[in-house]
Order: sequence, then C-alpha cells, then structure tokens
Amino acid sequence: MSLAAPRDAGERLGSVSSGNALELRGVTKLFGALAAIRDVTMTVRSGERRAVLGSNGAGKTTLFNCVTGDFLPTSGTIRLFGEDVTRFPAYERIRRGLRRTYQISLLFNGLTVTDNVYLACRGVSRDRFSLLRPRQGDVLVARADELIEAVHLTSARDTAVANLSYGQQRQLEIALALAGAPRLILFDEPAAGLSPTERAELVSILNGLPEHIGYIIIEHDMDVALRVAERVTMMHNGLVFKEGTPEEIENDAEVQELYLGGGHG
Amino acid sequence: MQAFVTRRPVWSLVIAIVVALLFWLVFAPWPAELEEVLGRKRVFLNAVFGGITLGALYFLVASGFTLIFGLMRNINLAHGSLYLLGGYLGFEISEATGSWLLAFPIVFVVVAALGVVLQNQVFSRMEGQELRQTMVTIGLSVVLADIMLWIWGGQSYTIFSPDWIAGPMTLPVIAQVRDTGEVLYLRYPAVRVAILIAAIVIGIAMWLILNRTRIGMLIRAGVDDREMLAASGVRIQFVFLAVFAFGAGLAGMAGIVGGTFQSLSPGEDTRFLLASLVVVIVGGMGSIPGAAVGALVIGLSEQLGLVYAPTYSVVFTFLIMAGVLAFRPQGLFGERR
Amino acid sequence: MAVATERKTSSVGPLWLERVPGGWWALLFVLLTAPVWANDFFLFQVMGWTFILGIIALSLMFLAGLGGMVSLLQMSVAALAGYMVAIFGTSGVTEISMGLPWWVNIPVAIVIAAIFATLVGALAVRTEGIYTIMITLAIAAAFFYFTRQNYGIFNGYSGFNLVVPPELFGVDWRRPVPFYYLTLGCAAVCYAAVVYVSRAPFGLALQGVRDNPRRMAALGYNVTAHRIAAYSFAGVIAAIGGILLVWQNAQISPGTAGIPAVIDILVIAVVGGLARPIGPFIGALIYVLLRTFSPDFLLAFGLSGERFKLIIGLGFLAVVFFSPDGVLGLWERWKERRRQAKDPLTGAGG
Repeated sequence: MSLAAPRDAGERLGSVSSGNALELRGVTKLFGALAAIRDVTMTVRSGERRAVLGSNGAGKTTLFNCVTGDFLPTSGTIRLFGEDVTRFPAYERIRRGLRRTYQISLLFNGLTVTDNVYLACRGVSRDRFSLLRPRQGDVLVARADELIEAVHLTSARDTAVANLSYGQQRQLEIALALAGAPRLILFDEPAAGLSPTERAELVSILNGLPEHIGYIIIEHDMDVALRVAERVTMMHNGLVFKEGTPEEIENDAEVQELYLGGGHG
Repeated sequence: MQAFVTRRPVWSLVIAIVVALLFWLVFAPWPAELEEVLGRKRVFLNAVFGGITLGALYFLVASGFTLIFGLMRNINLAHGSLYLLGGYLGFEISEATGSWLLAFPIVFVVVAALGVVLQNQVFSRMEGQELRQTMVTIGLSVVLADIMLWIWGGQSYTIFSPDWIAGPMTLPVIAQVRDTGEVLYLRYPAVRVAILIAAIVIGIAMWLILNRTRIGMLIRAGVDDREMLAASGVRIQFVFLAVFAFGAGLAGMAGIVGGTFQSLSPGEDTRFLLASLVVVIVGGMGSIPGAAVGALVIGLSEQLGLVYAPTYSVVFTFLIMAGVLAFRPQGLFGERR
Repeated sequence: MAVATERKTSSVGPLWLERVPGGWWALLFVLLTAPVWANDFFLFQVMGWTFILGIIALSLMFLAGLGGMVSLLQMSVAALAGYMVAIFGTSGVTEISMGLPWWVNIPVAIVIAAIFATLVGALAVRTEGIYTIMITLAIAAAFFYFTRQNYGIFNGYSGFNLVVPPELFGVDWRRPVPFYYLTLGCAAVCYAAVVYVSRAPFGLALQGVRDNPRRMAALGYNVTAHRIAAYSFAGVIAAIGGILLVWQNAQISPGTAGIPAVIDILVIAVVGGLARPIGPFIGALIYVLLRTFSPDFLLAFGLSGERFKLIIGLGFLAVVFFSPDGVLGLWERWKERRRQAKDPLTGAGG
C-alpha cells in the first residue's frame, strides 16, 4: 500500500517539532448542564497507535467530535502537531493531516465508490475548486484507484454506495480516511457490525499502516482494540480514568470491575 | 432579559440609549434647530406612529407564520394569500351585514377552517418533506391569487371602519409648540390606535398561552424537538392542526385590519408575505417576541424610509435583514440550531 | 499497481462523443434546421423564450439539483444583468444610459450580476437549507421594490426601452432567425457547461456538499466557500439569460423580476425536473407552450384568457403531488417500467 507517498502540495503540514500528534489539555464539553467530557488531558505522539475505550456514554465520540471540530469545546485547548487548533473549522484541521471515520458510515449515497474516494483525494489537494475535468493519467485519479485497491473494493468501483453491502461500506469509509497524506486518523468503532473474517481483515489493514501514520481507535470490541493499540486510554462518565499499555489495562482491577464485569481472559 | 443584559452589557447599553433617544424625540417638544435639520415634528410623528401601527399589522400576520414554521417547519408561502382572502371576505361580510366587528370572528373561522383542511389533507401527507410542502404552498398561492383576481378583480377595496371608531383622536404627544407658546397635541386616526392596542393584547395573549398553559408548553416543546414530542405520546397532529388553524385565522383577521386602514388589491398578498418573511428572518423563527420586535423594526424602517428617503427606503429594510443574516443568522431571538 | 488505461466507464474521466445516444443527434438536427419548417413567431416567441427561460431555470437547477440549495434569486440576477446592459449600453432613456459599446457593457453586466449573486449567496449559505428559499425570496422581493421605487439608477416603473442586441457581422440579431440561433447557441453553451462542470471536481464536490456537508468538511472541503462559489457560477448563467431576455423584449422594467416571474422560474425548473440539465429546458417549453396557447384553449371553454395562471398553478400542484421530480422523473419511471415489463426469463415482450 503506497501510503508513504509524498505529501500532496495542498496540505499544510507544519512543523512536527514537538513530536506530539495530538495534545488535549483540560478539554471540557458541556451540553447545558450535562458534561459529556470533563477536563480531558491526553497526549498522543506522532505515529502512536492509541485505543480509547469505555462504556456507552463515556464521552468517546464527543471527544472525537471536539478533536475534528464538529463541536467547539466549552473549555480547554487542542493542539494538532504542535499547532493550537481549538478554534479552527473542521476543514483546516483536515488539511493538517487529521482524518476520521464514523461509527455510522457517512458516505455519499448518490455517488459511486470511485467518486467517493476521488472526492476524498481532492479535498486535501489544491484545485478543489477546479472547473476542469481531470485529464487522462491524472495523479489523483490514479491515487484514488490505488486506495480502492488497498481496501479491496476494485470490483465494486462503479457501484453506487447505496448498493454496497454493509461490509463494503465500512471498507469505503476507511478508504476515505486514508486519502491524501494522513498523519493522524480517528477511527470511530470501525469493527462495529463486521463478521469475524472482516474483523481480521480490519486488524491487518490497521496494523499494516505505515509507521508515520498514528491513529486513535474507539472500540467496544476489546479484542480488536487491544490487538491494534500500543497504549490504551480508559474513559468513564466523561473523565479519563486510566491510561496504560494493553497488558496493564487488561489486568487492572478497577478496569475489570467497571468495564469487564470482573475477570477477563 | 436579565440574562441578556448580563451577557451583553455593551449591546444592552446601546439599545437602551437608542430607545431613550427615540422616546425623547417623540415626547419632548423639539427645539427650533432640530426642526431645521429633521423637518417638522408632526411629519416625524406621523412616520413613527405610522411605522408602529404598520408594525402592529405586520406582527399579526407574521406571528402566525413564525409559529407555523417554528413548529411544523413548514414555510407557508400561501400565508399572504390567506391574508388577502381574509380581507376580501371581511369586506363582503361587513358590506353584507353592516357590522365591522362581526367580520372578525366569521373570517377567523372560515380561514382557520381552510387551514385545517390544508394541514389535514395536504401537509400531513408530506410529513418530513419540507421542500415539497413549501412547493405546495407556492402552488396554492398562485392558484388562490388567480381565483381572488377572478372573483374580485383588479381594483382596490377599502373596508370602512364603523363610526364609533372613525375619525381622529388626540394623543398625549406634543406635535408642535406654536410661537404663542400654545402646545398642540398629535391628532391621529383612532382606528389605527385601536388596532395597535388590539395587536398588543393579542401578542400578550399569545405569549401567555405559549408560556403559561399546557398546550403552550406542548407547542414550545414541539418547536424545540418535534420527534421527541411525538415520541412522548402526544397526539402531535392535533397540535399541528391547532397551530396551523390559528395562524391562518390570525392572518385572515389581519386582512380585515389591513383592508381597513390601507386597502386590498392583488399584490397585497405578496407584500404581506414578504413582510412576514423579513420579520421572521430578523426576529427569529418560532419566537413571538422576535416577531414583535422584528415587525416593529421593519414597520418603522419602512415608514421612516418612505418619508425621509423615498427612493431608497427598501434599501433600509434590506440592510437590516442583511445585517441580521450576516451577524446573527438565526435571527435576533432565534435559537442557533 | 499501474492505472488501467482501458477502463470501461470512467466516472471521472473525460466526455466521449461516442457515448452520446442517438436521440440527441436527432434533436440537434431538428433544432438546427428549425427555420426551415417553423414560422417566425414560433422561432422568436416560442423557441427563443423557451431557451431564455430554460437558461435562467438551468441556473436554479444547478444550485438546487447539484447543490441542494433552492434559490429564488435567479430571476433577479438575470434581471440585474439585463438592467446593467441597458444602463451601461444604449437605450431610450438617454439620461441614464451610458452608451458604452457591447464589448464593455456585456461583460460588465455579467460581472455585476455575478457579484450580486455571490454576495447574496454569502448571506444565504450560512443558514440551514430550508431558509434558503425564504432568504432568496425576500431579497428578490427587495430587488423588485427597489427597482420600482428608484429613479436615479433603475428609472422606476418605466424601466428601460429600446435595448437591442448590437449589430455584429452585419446581422441584426433581433430578427427572428438570427435571434433563434443566438438563443439556441447560448442555451447549448450553458447546457454543455453545466454538464461538464457537474463531473469536474467542483461539481462533484458540490454534490458531495449537497449529500453530506459534514463529511465534506471532514474531507477537507470548505463547505461554505463551495456553496458561495456555486452561487457565483449560477449567477453567470442567469446573467446570460437575463441579457438575452432584455434583448428579446427590447425593454426591461421592475415587472421583469416581479414575484410572479420569480416563482415561474421555480415552477419551470421543478416541472421539468431538477435531476438533469435538460429538465429546465423541458419545463420551459411546457411553460411557454401553455402560456402561448392556453388563452385560446380557455376561451374555447368560455373562460377569460387570463386564467392561464390558474392552469399553471394547478399543473404545478399536480406535479408536486404526483411526480415531485418533474417530467424527468416521470420519464425515468416509464423507462424503468418498460425495462421491467420485458419477461425476465425469455427477454421477450415489453
């Protein structure tokens, strides 16, 4: 998979000096009186593979929404590759190397697989306003084809999204996140609804990503999460309550009590 | 309001100053230098009071419109047609029965009934398809406009106000101070003042119903989150029917009002639909206070503009609307969705 | 892996002439040879008007069909361009018209109209989609009232008369046959432009914005900027229609962009179908035919010829009720039924 491809000219890739892909400091999001996340402080290094686990309502998706810019945090700062992006609109963060997949696939139902992936490639390039159709041999068209190949959707290339199977849609969802030159990807429950074979494939795709691409994965499926992560962050009721390696987390008594229902593995 | 003042002290100060200035301009006698610059005070007063009473009329039409949109997300572009229809019917009834007051309840019932039929037979079948509903209202407005043109023709109709309210009355506002020191108070058509009072009463009544009664609470909840309300077991279709009927009936009654102190003719439906649109854009969707403030602002800007800058008065209204859209797109009293 | 050069259907590839179906060539032939079999009235009044209204409705289809934004502003943009041609060029109102040559007043008119469209777009796109109709309608109304009450620039009620196309290459372009070809040419260019752009990155992105603005933002697109740019592009198309309109009538007045005219454009676009660029032209043809011939039809029934508005309104309601995607939608469903009518086992029938 040629994702170590050279950076696209349109992306604004600032300095990677701090070595941290993501720095959250005291991030809180209130909905009225409800604190969806509270005082979250978290640091993810460049290229790190992190899992964020927790029960429903722990605030994981809200955390993602704050990082991508869907929500404005009530307080706290968010730094992406050393830059303070707390008040940036979503597209500015994307152009700095952030990507995301969604729990419920957000795809363009009226367009084909190729169109979907091509749009993703275009989004982070220059010429996204181009009125001219791409010429034969256009770089981005080729890149889109490669991505489709990488997620094993070549046979469904010209199918409209509405006609894809659930598993194929999830694969497409991942392809969209791999477009351009991602540096940090947020995967929101990518294994949801997948069969065991598909899950194994997902794990191999995730583990096969180039080293410079870091990701944060939200998952309910502990097996998948612990197999693809270097570090785990546990959330509960909007707070980060534990952080450690997969082994530490698995064997932690508090985690077992709260999340695994006492005794696991 | 207290929350607003604490959150935005600067804006509150600005608004307070503007309102105080306006009060002074209206109630205090004008020094000669001011009259040099702004023209005669009587002209100004007529424009201001004209704007306020026009605003009252706009409020009557727009409040129904804003409730219907706020609750049912239905942009009723036939609202102006309902206004005009109510006016024409009011004319016929007052001519036939000789009573101006009797026209109001009859027109309310007739136009509200039309509203019930529309909501029940047409809009409820297109639940959730907002654009399609709007298209239907556009088609209805075209059809209604042509039918009204067919029946009543192209001329202007005026409804005569009854004798007991016709003629001018004296307001406690100084119009002019003669050189002899004699103070002249403003004489203003009584019917306009009556309509202003009626609009204020209706507005307060609506606000009370919305905020102090159970059905009002249901409506407000529905404006906030329609699915939630339906899921909680409320027969939401009845609420929709009630609101649509009321909004339509109110527009119809407003037609009688408009026919009394202005006139009725083809094109008035468009004019009042537009006024409703602008009032709601400025005031905010689904908000009665917003409709009141929006109507007042638009009414004043229109009348003052007509008097002081007749070839550009539309621009003022447009600038107000553009300003609100640019800086507070959800309207002055609207909720940011 | 190398990019396969012999791909069957390239959804983002260039347009191939070979893929144009036969029906189009027939239509093209008919349109090009029309002056041979049609009379002057038909060419100038019916077809000319069809192309003009079709172009303006096309700009609405671009915004609504591709971008999901139903804008009632297009007629006003067109009228503004028409007014600018009258003001910057020559007209009967010599106190206001500046008399600049056509190669100045036409581009200026288009630019001014496009700027107007862009500014309104900037106001309208930051709100939820359902508000777009309201806001654009309100601004269209403001435009109408302003042109009616302003005498310094727009000459109020009377507007401008004697606005005619420039004489180029020795041809009087307002005569029926040349005007027919002029409007046909412009319509073809606008149509081709929309077809082309809809598969270019810009058009594709616009469809993405229509379908899933949140996702587009998460792919790095500035959704607001894209929508505003769509207004600009549509504004240029509407401006072309507006200039042709003022030339056809040789005059322009506030009523040209009155609310009935504004709504007519919406009716045309919806009745034709918002899904493909040919829809607005189909809708325009239906509208023009109704407009031209229904008075006779009505008189035959003893009704006043003026009731054509009623017929159009009722027809529009019927379309919205039974076939909200317009004539195009009817045609798609008919094709589908024919395809399914064939016996799936033997392939016979249908």
